[in-house]
Order: sequence, then structure tokens, then C-alpha cells
Amino acid sequence: MFKKIVIKISTLILILIGLNFVYNFTLYKKDLYEKSEQFIEIKNEQATTDIFYFAESSNFNVRENDSIMNSISEITNFFFPSLKLTAINKPAAHAGIFKAWLKSIDVKKNKAKAVIITLNMRSFDAAWRHSVLETQLQESVVLVQPYPNLVNRFLLSLQAFDNKTDEQRNKEMLDDWENVKLEFPFDFKYKTVREWDVSFGQYGWDLPDGSPEKNKILLTCHYVKAYAFNLNEKNPRIKDFDEIAEWCNKNNINLYLNLLAENIEYADSLVGKELVFLMKQNRDYLVKRYNKGNCKVIDNLELVNGLEFTDQTWTTEHYGYRGRMIIARNVANTLKDQFSKEYIKAY
Amino acid sequence: MLFNSLHFLFFLPIVVGLYYLLPQKFRWILIFISSCYFYMVFVPKYILILFLIIIIDYIAAITIEKIEGRLKLFYLIASLTANIGLLAFFKYFNFLNENLVSVFSLFGQEFHPVNLSIILPIGLSFHTFQSMSYTIEVYRGRQKAERHLGYFANYVLFFPQMVAGPIERYETLGNELKAVHKPLYQNFSDGFKLVLFGLFIKMVVADNIAPYVNQVYLDPLKYSSFEVLMSIFLFSFQIYADFFGYSTIALGCAKLLGINIMNNFKTPYLAKSVSEFWSRWHISLSTWFRDYLYIPLGGNRVKIPRWSINVLIVFMISGLWHGASWTFVVWGALHGLMLLLERYFSMLFKFEIKKEWSGLNVFLVIKTFVITSFIWIFFRAESFQKAKDMFRALTHNQNVYPLQLDILMPVIFTALMIMFDLFLYNSRFDSKLNTFKTPYRWAFYTVILFCLMALSGTQKFTFIYFQF
Repeated sequence: MFKKIVIKISTLILILIGLNFVYNFTLYKKDLYEKSEQFIEIKNEQATTDIFYFAESSNFNVRENDSIMNSISEITNFFFPSLKLTAINKPAAHAGIFKAWLKSIDVKKNKAKAVIITLNMRSFDAAWRHSVLETQLQESVVLVQPYPNLVNRFLLSLQAFDNKTDEQRNKEMLDDWENVKLEFPFDFKYKTVREWDVSFGQYGWDLPDGSPEKNKILLTCHYVKAYAFNLNEKNPRIKDFDEIAEWCNKNNINLYLNLLAENIEYADSLVGKELVFLMKQNRDYLVKRYNKGNCKVIDNLELVNGLEFTDQTWTTEHYGYRGRMIIARNVANTLKDQFSKEYIKAY
Repeated sequence: MLFNSLHFLFFLPIVVGLYYLLPQKFRWILIFISSCYFYMVFVPKYILILFLIIIIDYIAAITIEKIEGRLKLFYLIASLTANIGLLAFFKYFNFLNENLVSVFSLFGQEFHPVNLSIILPIGLSFHTFQSMSYTIEVYRGRQKAERHLGYFANYVLFFPQMVAGPIERYETLGNELKAVHKPLYQNFSDGFKLVLFGLFIKMVVADNIAPYVNQVYLDPLKYSSFEVLMSIFLFSFQIYADFFGYSTIALGCAKLLGINIMNNFKTPYLAKSVSEFWSRWHISLSTWFRDYLYIPLGGNRVKIPRWSINVLIVFMISGLWHGASWTFVVWGALHGLMLLLERYFSMLFKFEIKKEWSGLNVFLVIKTFVITSFIWIFFRAESFQKAKDMFRALTHNQNVYPLQLDILMPVIFTALMIMFDLFLYNSRFDSKLNTFKTPYRWAFYTVILFCLMALSGTQKFTFIYFQF
């Protein structure tokens, strides 16, 4: 019986290898396009592009009445007209997703000499890490895991990825806010995000008639939840970016961490200097950790003023033309070192 | 744990491997632990409810066997009350309260019930019914009370069929669990075939149809009458593939352990009448209701009016068993009504369905399918309003084009399901496939394997019957 089973299993394995070939030539591309067209874009562009620009929604969101509607990556490209800069975008993407994109680049075919990874500070926070959008993002990278494509497709059907329910994710987020201690080099009365958040919920802003100014309280609380955290190497996004840096280093590609501008003005006026302190401290952490070797941090954190943010009632990193222009110029200035011959003073 | 999960694909071979490595006297412990683990992956604390059912029925059965007279009946009633009480609390408590509010408001009164946020333990209706059948059989003297608590616990907990059936009787599953099973090649081969086929019809057929049906049921009036009609027919195949798939995987898992469990389906959509449909659909539940409700109510031995009422009662309770909603009751009642109409018709016109296939029988099969499909609307719709919308949507927009939903894949997989049904008519997948020559059999595996791995649905759909 044992011999019979071994023969059957061997036959089955051979069939599976054959089926994997059939799948690669028939349905794989269609599936990949359905789940994450970004991988197809990368495959199509890698042989001809000079710079990859990986970004979330900040890149392509514009203000309705902007006179110029170009994205940050397009404006950046104006400074290097002879180079091909290819933007790959996906809303809510973060370092974990960019890592998968990056690793899908075929180094033998790749022409790109630089990769710009756009990150916003919030992508490291608990709300973003435990966002309900995470399931879809994780689903989008299953098909490029380092297994045979047919196996990846089957894993997708089995939902074998970080596929938590919305309730589970919300619980993890609340647990983080409740339990992770905030660290300050000075005395501060609130020890966790939850304590800080509740304080504003209870003693927030009042209207002239003495009633609570609900929208402002909501926004203030949101600022606390979005930026009150201490970055350290335990943060999974840091681990992801470490892998990104390692991969770029190994493959001799220059890496640029494009740290987006946040609305520091509003953070200060709504919450106070303690929150701004944390934001700057986290920025400094990223600069210190990654500004070395073939990696550079493009620090935009404080460059854009409050009114340039298109969304005045939330913390989204979407900018009006002037804001996009400032960031693009900063990116171009940093890239200038690597591509000095191709650089022109476009603005 | 879901059958269609990576977790299960690791769990099953480990359990099967350990099962045959262990001496017979320890195997019940493995089945017990693995079944508990299987269940606890869903909501761990609910295993306590199962333990409670096991303890109650274990003690009740031994006591019933020991004593005589009216006290015997008392213990049976106590056991049944405990089982039904648990089911009622978890499944029907809020439903009852909602109805009380409606009744009170009918008389202009206010009623403020305690609303509990109860999550129905997965498969509670299945294991309470299975356990109750055991105590009833012991009471009737047809079954000896089990003295070994472990074996009895495994009867209620046996992981392949614990959450969605088939609802087994102790005389079959109990004995199967106790028997000595050697590792036989044929069992591995048949078990593997059944698991593969079950996964195929769940993940490829049901899960590819589900998005289409869900989309239409979300807002039926948004779609053309054609699309609504298609969703009604497609749901019939979705629920069939979903539940038949689960039952086939269960059968295969048990077979891998050398254990035989019953066939829950026999190509139900090839039934020529509604009564035949119920002898082919969810057979373990139909026979449960036949043995423990229909026959005690009088069965066929009573006069026509009484019999008609009995049939309606059985079907309405069967509807309520499925879900705590009046839509399920109506679903059951409509089936009962159709069954009665068929019987009256055949009595009035002395009409008998012949066994041989003919044009008339094909017509009857189609008629039965259309009737059951339309009745499924009440099963699938969350409310009467939604069911009403479905019926309204059947006539509101008769333009076939443009189609808003991609119907190609659901139709292809439905056609495949119909072909399988014709192929499997009155036989089981493993035995049918064993009649094939080796190259054809392997060609068949190859196609199924490819469909399973490359064409399965990619959205998460748990088994529909888990909610019951």
C-alpha cells in the first residue's frame, strides 16, 4: 500500500507542476491584474523606467479648483525630462505593500536606478496598521508570494493571508490605543492614546454659547489617534522598510524615503506641542535610521502649511498644487545628486 | 475551522496520520481532542455548550435505560427540554422577543424585552438534533445507552459532521466510531476523491455563483428582470453546491479515518416532485423529522385533513429549524403546501410518476426545480420586504440588455454542476469514479484539481448551513 501511495503522490506532484505551467500561461496575468494591477505595471515598466515612484493616494489627489492638476510624481519628472519616472499608486498602501511591489521587480530586466517610496507618518500608526482596508491590501499581494503561482492562487481562494475580520482589526486598534505607553522625555499626564483622546473628548472645544464644538473635538481626537505614537523597531512598518532598504542595497538601487508633509500647524493648534514633539521625534527616528548608504530620507514633514492641505477636516496627506509643488521640488533636489546631468531647473 | 481553509488542509492529514499510528484504545481520545480543537477555532467558549449537551444526554440515556414507567418519560422530556431550551435560548430568544413586541403593539400595548446580543453557536441545531435522536432511541428501546462517555462525546462532536451534519444516528455513527479501522488504501483513495470533489463544488461552483446572487439580493430593483430571474435559479445551485460540497467533504474526511457516514444528498434537482425532492435533499434532516415528528404525529395512518395539517406542521417546524425568522417558516410552509397539492393532484387524477425517463419526467424535473427555486427566495431573502422586491423585480424591467453583472462564469459553473448531477444520478462520486479506467480517472482529477486551484472563488464565503 505504501508503495502505491508514494507512486500516486508522485504522479500528483508531476500533474501539479504541469498545471502550474498551464496556469502561468493562461490565467495568471488576468488574476494578477484583477487583484493588483500594480504588479503588471511594474513588470511592463521595469525594463524602460529610470525611476520608480511608489505612492499612496497623496500622489494623484488634487484640489478641485487647482489650476495645474499634475501629480507629485509628474511634477518631479518635469525636473528630469530626459528620464522616465514611473509612478505606481495604490490608495492606503504602506511600507508592507511597497515591499511586495519592490520585490516583484525582476532585477535582471530592471533598468531603474532609483526607487522613491512615499510614506506618510500615519501609515505607522495603530489606526492604519489595523485598518479594515488592510485585508484588501494583503489580498493584493498574495499572488506574488515566493511560491509557484498556482499555489498562490489556491492560497488566495483559501483566504490564506492576513485576513482578519473588521471586528478583529478594530479590537487590535483599540487595544493598541489602550495599552501601548507613550514615551516623552518630559512629564506628561496622559500615558496612552486612549487617555489623551478621552481628555479631549471630555474637555475639548466649546462654542461661544458654551456647548461643545463637536466637529473640532472630533478632529482633535483624530489628530491624537493619528500621530501619538513612538516609532521604534518593533513597529511592523519599520521592519518592512528595513527589508526594502536591504533589498535595494543588495540590488544596488538607490532608495529614497519620501516622508510626506503633515499638517503640523493644525496638530499644534488643536492638540498642542506634545503631539508636534512626537511627530518630529518620529521623523528624526526615520532620518537617523535610514539616511545612510544608498538610502536617503526626503524630509517634507514641516514643509507644507496648513491651508495647502485639501482636506481641512481630516488628516489626509492630500495637497493643493502649491503643496504638491513644494514636495516635488524637494524630491527633485534630493534626486539631483544622483541624476545631476539630467536635472533641469523646471521651476 | 472551515473545510476550505489552509488550517484544515494541515489539520486533516495530521489527524489521519496520528489516528492510524495510535492503538485503537487511544483513538477516541484523538478524535475527541481534534474535534474540540476543530470547533474551538470558531468561538472557543461555545464548546462548553456542547459539553453540557453531552453530559445531559449521556446521563439521561443511562437513567432512561435503567428505570421503567412514567419516570422514564420524565427523563426523556427533561433531556429534550434541556436540548431544545439551549437551542431556543441561543437561536430563538430575540426572535421571540421581536414577535412579542409586535403582538403587544397590535393591542396598543408596549413591551420592552431584554435584548441579548447572542451569537448563535455554529451548528447548534445540528448537534442538538443529533443528540436528541440518541436519547429518543434509547427511550424507545432501540438503542442501548452508551456507557463510555468518550465515545458518546465523539458521537456529538465528531469533527467532519459536527457543524453542518449529516445528522447521524447513534446506531450508525456510534458503532462506526467504536469499530477497529485499519489503514486501507481504498479508504484513503475514496476519502481523497470525496474531499477533492467536495472542495471543488464548494469553492469553484458555489463560491463563483455567490457574488452574482449576493449582488442581486442586495438591491433587486436595480437589476433587469432577466438578471433577477437568473439569480433565483443560480441561488438554487449555489446553496446546493455549498451544502452538498460540505457534506461531501465531511464524507471524505470520515472515510479517510475509515468511518462511514450517511449520504446527505442524492441529486435533488433531478427530483420529479417536491416529495421526491425531500427524499433527496438534506436526507438526514428529512429522516429526522420523519422519525421523530411526522410519524409520532400520525404519519400516513391518519385521515387526509389531519395528515395535511401534520405535513404543514412538520414543514413549518423544519423551516423554523433553519432560521429564527418568519421567512423560513413561510419557506417550509410553501414546501408543505406544494407537497399537499401534488398528493391531491395524484389522488384526484390517479396520476403516478413512472420511474423510467420520458419527456413527461423531464418536464416534471424542470417543474420541480422551478418551484423549489422560487420557494428558495424566502430562504435567501432576509425579510419579506426583500422577498417582495425580488418578485416585483421579476417584472419591473424586462429589458435583457445591458447586463450589469457578469453572468458568464456563474452560468458555466452551474452547467458543470448540472452535468455532474446527471453523471452522478443515484450514485456517489467515489464509487462512480472507481468505474473509470485509470487514465480517464486521472484526467478527471487533473481537470478538477486545475479548476479548484486556479478557478475557485476568491471572496470569503462561509458555508451557508453553518448559520443554522
